[in-house]
Amino acid sequence: MLAAVGLLGGLLSASLVRFSPGYGVDEQELDFRLSQASVEAIRNSHRIHSGLLSYYGHYLAGAIHGDFGSSQWLQRPISSLIKERFPVTAKSALLGVSLAWLVALLISFAGVFFRGFYFDVSTTLISAVLIALPAAVVAIFSVYLRAPVFVAIAVVIFPKLFRYLRNLLNHAYSQPYILAARARGISQSRILFSHVLPLASPALFALLGVSLAVAFGAAIPIEALCDSPGVGQLAWQAALNRDMPLIMNLTLLVTLITVAANMLANIAQERAL
Amino acid sequence: MNTGKLRVFSAVVLCAIFVLGLFAGTVSPYPYAKQFRECPNAAPSSAHWLGTDSLGRDLFARLIYGTRVSLLLAPAAALLATMLAGILGGFAGLVGGWCEKVILAATDLSMALPLLFVLLALRALLPLDISPVLSVMATFTLLGLLGWPSSLRVVWAAAKNLRNSDFLLLARATGSRRSRIIVRHLFPNLRPVLFAQFWVSIPVFVLTEATLSMLGLGVIEPLPSWGNLLRGLEDISAVSANPWRLSPLVLLVLVVICFQLILPAQEETA
Repeated sequence: MLAAVGLLGGLLSASLVRFSPGYGVDEQELDFRLSQASVEAIRNSHRIHSGLLSYYGHYLAGAIHGDFGSSQWLQRPISSLIKERFPVTAKSALLGVSLAWLVALLISFAGVFFRGFYFDVSTTLISAVLIALPAAVVAIFSVYLRAPVFVAIAVVIFPKLFRYLRNLLNHAYSQPYILAARARGISQSRILFSHVLPLASPALFALLGVSLAVAFGAAIPIEALCDSPGVGQLAWQAALNRDMPLIMNLTLLVTLITVAANMLANIAQERAL
Repeated sequence: MNTGKLRVFSAVVLCAIFVLGLFAGTVSPYPYAKQFRECPNAAPSSAHWLGTDSLGRDLFARLIYGTRVSLLLAPAAALLATMLAGILGGFAGLVGGWCEKVILAATDLSMALPLLFVLLALRALLPLDISPVLSVMATFTLLGLLGWPSSLRVVWAAAKNLRNSDFLLLARATGSRRSRIIVRHLFPNLRPVLFAQFWVSIPVFVLTEATLSMLGLGVIEPLPSWGNLLRGLEDISAVSANPWRLSPLVLLVLVVICFQLILPAQEETA
């Protein structure tokens, strides 16, 4: 599956880069210090891979060796840019996902254990408002409050996660076997760890994969507006500078991570069933 | 207030905002691009109800016109996405076989692509200095063309259930034409699912447009949309001097919450 997505996504990226306006035109050709022979050599270097399949083959051959081409805008190898920027985003995304899960789980459990009208209404209202905020607005507020990038990512993920978790737990706790367990005097923690979580775990694993995908999506506006030098900011700058090879490679990278995360979640889900 | 009343209230609020946006030309005291150069960053007054922005443009006028852009075009994009999902999902669910496999594989691939990254990539294919009207069209068309995969799965599941239903078997057995089966039997049964998907997509597109425009890759100035009006929030000193600058955000949050509150009623009918 991962290989299929990689190959198809690569073909899609190659097609977009190959057919993007301005492909094969190099601004170096305008440098008046270059001789006619040098300009011709630059043009020839672009002409070699002018066909889509030839371009795709060249791209794949390079990708196998870790060479994803060069950024037109920064004039640097894309692989070195990714190596530099990816750890920043990965760290923010992982911390953001962890924080969002922690808070969502805590509030959902609190909601289940201390059922109360005001608690329910206030958490519903807060999650409804947070879900209605565009990720870019969350980023601006985090700049106002000088909060780290991962907190902004957590704020974007939290409401989506919380709604799902709360419904999942409410559904689990309304089952007759939970009532039977309570009637037998089994402790709350035992009910949670022995009866609720094992049954809910497949859905929780699936949700983990989805939340990672949401985190990478949210990284674009948040890193762009919070000035965090990660992959999201790089993608935004690449779009503003119309650097197609760079943005397509970043899209492919994030796609592969998302698919890999979902695959891992599926494997964990199957084990849990 | 019970859930039913809350839904009615949300519907009334949405209708009121929609009508306000639709008649922006009549309601708004000034054109959205008119500059009052003598009073930039003005506080609210009787002449400028929400004050003016840094270029001296009336914020109320821009908010009303921005509402029109966002609230008319997000449903249009949602309609496009739902139509694509309906046609492809309905076809996959009803025909089955290799067609179903190909369509579902394409859907899985599209769902694996991160929407915002793909939107940035496709938007980057277009020049940045396109006209504002073209930027609006490009933004919402891209949203409509890329927003179908999640809806498709739902439509496909509903269509697949219908494929094995008795009434379709009876319709086929009585010799009904394919077009009649689609129009009289399939579409009325898929309508609630399609409507729910259409309704779910609208707030998603409103929020995505807002994020894209805030990044400078959506609707281009001077045309207002909720997204590019929210760019005004970046200037913290202007916001603290005139908190009414938060009104586009309040309106956006209100609309998205209203959409969320109305939705369960649609899900029940689905």
